[in-house]
Order: sequence, then C-alpha cells, then structure tokens
Amino acid sequence: MKLNSWPWPNYWVLTKTFAWLDFKLRFHGSALGILWSFLRPLLLFGVLYIVFSKLVRFDIPNYALYLLLGIILWNFFVEATNFALVSIDNKTALLKKVPFPRTIVVFSATITAFISLSFNLIVFLLFFAFSDLTLGVSAILLVVYLISLFFIALGTSYFLTALYAKFKDVRTIWEVLLQLGFWLTPIIYTLSIVPQRFHWWIYLNPLTRAVQYSREALIENRVSNLDGIIALLSMATIIFIFGYLVFRSRAKYFAEEL
Amino acid sequence: MPEPIIELKNVTKTFKLPHERRDSLKEHLFNFWRPRTYEIIKAVDDVSLSIQPGEFVGIIGPNGSGKSTLLKLIAGVLYPNEGSITVRGRISPFLELGVGFQPELSGHDNVYLYAAILGLSPRQIRERYKQIVAFAELDRFMDQKVKNYSTGMQMRLAFAITSHVDADILLVDEALAVGDESFQKKCLDKMRNLKEEGKTILLISHNLNSVRENCQKIIEMGMGKINEQ
Repeated sequence: MKLNSWPWPNYWVLTKTFAWLDFKLRFHGSALGILWSFLRPLLLFGVLYIVFSKLVRFDIPNYALYLLLGIILWNFFVEATNFALVSIDNKTALLKKVPFPRTIVVFSATITAFISLSFNLIVFLLFFAFSDLTLGVSAILLVVYLISLFFIALGTSYFLTALYAKFKDVRTIWEVLLQLGFWLTPIIYTLSIVPQRFHWWIYLNPLTRAVQYSREALIENRVSNLDGIIALLSMATIIFIFGYLVFRSRAKYFAEEL
Repeated sequence: MPEPIIELKNVTKTFKLPHERRDSLKEHLFNFWRPRTYEIIKAVDDVSLSIQPGEFVGIIGPNGSGKSTLLKLIAGVLYPNEGSITVRGRISPFLELGVGFQPELSGHDNVYLYAAILGLSPRQIRERYKQIVAFAELDRFMDQKVKNYSTGMQMRLAFAITSHVDADILLVDEALAVGDESFQKKCLDKMRNLKEEGKTILLISHNLNSVRENCQKIIEMGMGKINEQ
C-alpha cells in the first residue's frame, strides 16, 4: 500500500507496541496471567504423554523429549496464526480510521507468538538437562529451523488474515485444518514409525521438516541432510512471499471489508 | 507558488451497495449462479483538488455528500477506484466519532498506542504525554480503562492526541459535534494555533459560522462532487 507519509523508521516501534498490547490483552482478567503461556503446552504435553507412553505404549527412547519439542513447535504455529486472526479483529476500529502499515498487525502477532515460543524452549531445555542426553554442535542448526518456522507462520498468517477480512468463515475452517495438521505432522509420533512409502508425502508439509530436523538437531545430535534443509528454506520463502503478496493486494480494502 | 501539500487528480471512489449481504463463504457458494444485485454509489465523483501548505480548509455539505469519504481517501484509509492522490507530509487523522481506542486498556496506554500508530517514537510520546493529558483535561482518569469513559471524554482524549503529534496535516471530521462549548472553543483555538505554526488543516463541520470565521478556504460538496471552492 502507498503510505509515503508514514514515518517508516518507526515500523519496529509500532510492532513492539502492538506485541506488548497483545500480550497485555491476551492474559487480561486471568488469574495466572502470563503463566498460561507456559502451562498450556505443558498441560497438553502431560495429557498426550500419559496417553501415548502409558496407554498406547509407543516404544521410542526419549519419547517425552520428542513429544515436548513437537508440541512446542506446533503450538507456536497455532498461536501465531490464531493471534493474527484475533489481532485483526481487535484492531478493526483502528484499521478503519488510521493509516498505518497494515503488515504490522500480523507481524506483531507472529512476534508475540515467537516470544512465547522462546519461553517454552527454555522449559524444554530444563527437561533436557534432566535427561541423560547432551547437546551437540548440531543444536546450532535449530536457529535456522526456527527462522524457517517463523516465516512459515508469518506467511500463513498474512494469507489467512487477508482472506478473513472478506470471509469470516476462515476462522472456523482454520480450526479444522489445524486439527488435521496436528495429526499429519510428526508431533505425537516420530517419522521412524511412519512407513517409508509415505515419507515423500509427509515431507511435503513444511512443518514436518521443521519439527523433524529440530528433533534431529537437538535430540539425535545430527545434522539433517542438506537437500532437506534447503527444501525447508525454500518452502518457507515461498510461503512467506505468497502470503505477503496476497496480503498486500487485499490490505487496501480492509477499511471497507472488515 | 509552492508545491501543494495535498493533490487530488480526478479521484473517484465508488461503493457497491448490495441488495443482499453475502458475508460468508456459504452465501457466496450457494448463490454463485445468481448474479448479485447491487447499486453502485459514487461517494466521491471525479474530484480534483489541491491544497497548499498552511491552509485551513473547511469542508461543508449535507450528509452523504462525500465529505467523510474524501477525508478517508486523503488519509489513505480508503483507496480510490480512479485518479491519484499525492500527500506530501505526515497526516494525523481524526476521522468520525470514536477513534478506535482499545476499550480494555487504560487511557494512559491508549495514548501511547495511538501516538505510536500515528508514527511517534516512544521518546516523542513521553515528551508530549503531559501536554496531551492537560489538553484533554483528563488527568484524574488516565489510569482508568477507556471503556469506562463517556463519549465526550473519548473525543477529548482523541482530539488531544491527534492535535499534539506534530503532524504536517490534521484531518478533522466532525470533532465539534460532541463536547461542551468550552471544549469546542478550545479545539478551534488549537487548530488556529496549528495553522499559525504552518500546519495544514482540513475540517469537516456543519457549523457554518465557525467555518466561515476560521477557514480561509471553503469547499462545498454535494453528491460526491465539489460544488464550489
């Protein structure tokens, strides 16, 4: 959009302000406040851990760590996209009345989710410290995977919010798709129990790659194959650019459609 | 003649006014084969306009004549279907009643948020905060949530912010409709001061006397067109 007169150096200032605002509003009125940001993935972890290690009995060494890391990364994707949809709803009045770069609404939502992801990763590392595993050099690669994940979430959020302005159903459809995605991504299971012939398909999901490679880097101490990492980076780039372009072409009409 | 600070060339903005609303995907899918019936309303119709820096412009006209749409186009919230709009400066808009405060946040937090949206850095906001609160006369209420403010209080705070962010252009839509007489006078005084500082002001008002008194240029709109300048 054309916003020549807006002071662009302040882009980051406004992003931070929105992220801070989202944080403040999110836990508004809840007794445990920001603690929920940790408790939610931990509670989900507890439930799934009981089901899949005690009842279904997956026989995977260090299953708890695999599961926890999967949930934390998946949870980031869910939060980022949901925050974006909530955020565009909260700011309808602002979008209708004040010109400012529209991308900030979505960008700040992804940042907020990313902050809670980093808190959750600290929790993961605490769990990790109590296991008999040690971190290898390959753990550095997590940075690359997290950046890819960030852009996958950001691009998806751009796309969803652009559609949401016109079709309010997007929110409901997205909830269902997330349920589906939860089972199609190796979160409660690992790729080792998936038959080889499905691997090509399951790797089409960029989140599979992000989760799988992160597990390999942190838990299995190994560097994933380079082709796969390049595929992940390309998928992230494509999703981000596509989402951004859709958002940019729709953002002009937000004031009329929302 | 200096370069105009706001320049509109043959700007047209139309709205589709559907006879039935289709907001959800289902309504779109199920009615796919039925052509949508709607009227096209030209809210702003082939308007050309140029405004020089430092002008205090009054926009008058009956309801539905396109005044507010014109201001939203200049603000950059709406996009024209045809024509081009050039704005050479930072805009602070005060559009329609209510300004999009976050009801669950305190007055203090809303000032910081709103000023950041208008493009101020945190330091600039801190420098101006006292002035804004003093202007709005809401010192005692700043820690209260905005949802508990009266309409008049919200308007006062909103006008105080938009007029204190040091923008080059101030767009004001019907600010004087709410608020008591003394605050209306205060707003007009503030706009006159800004004009003396060289700021450009566009004011929509139904109060013809105050417009005639203060504005050196008056634009009268009717049916989406500018009738006279």
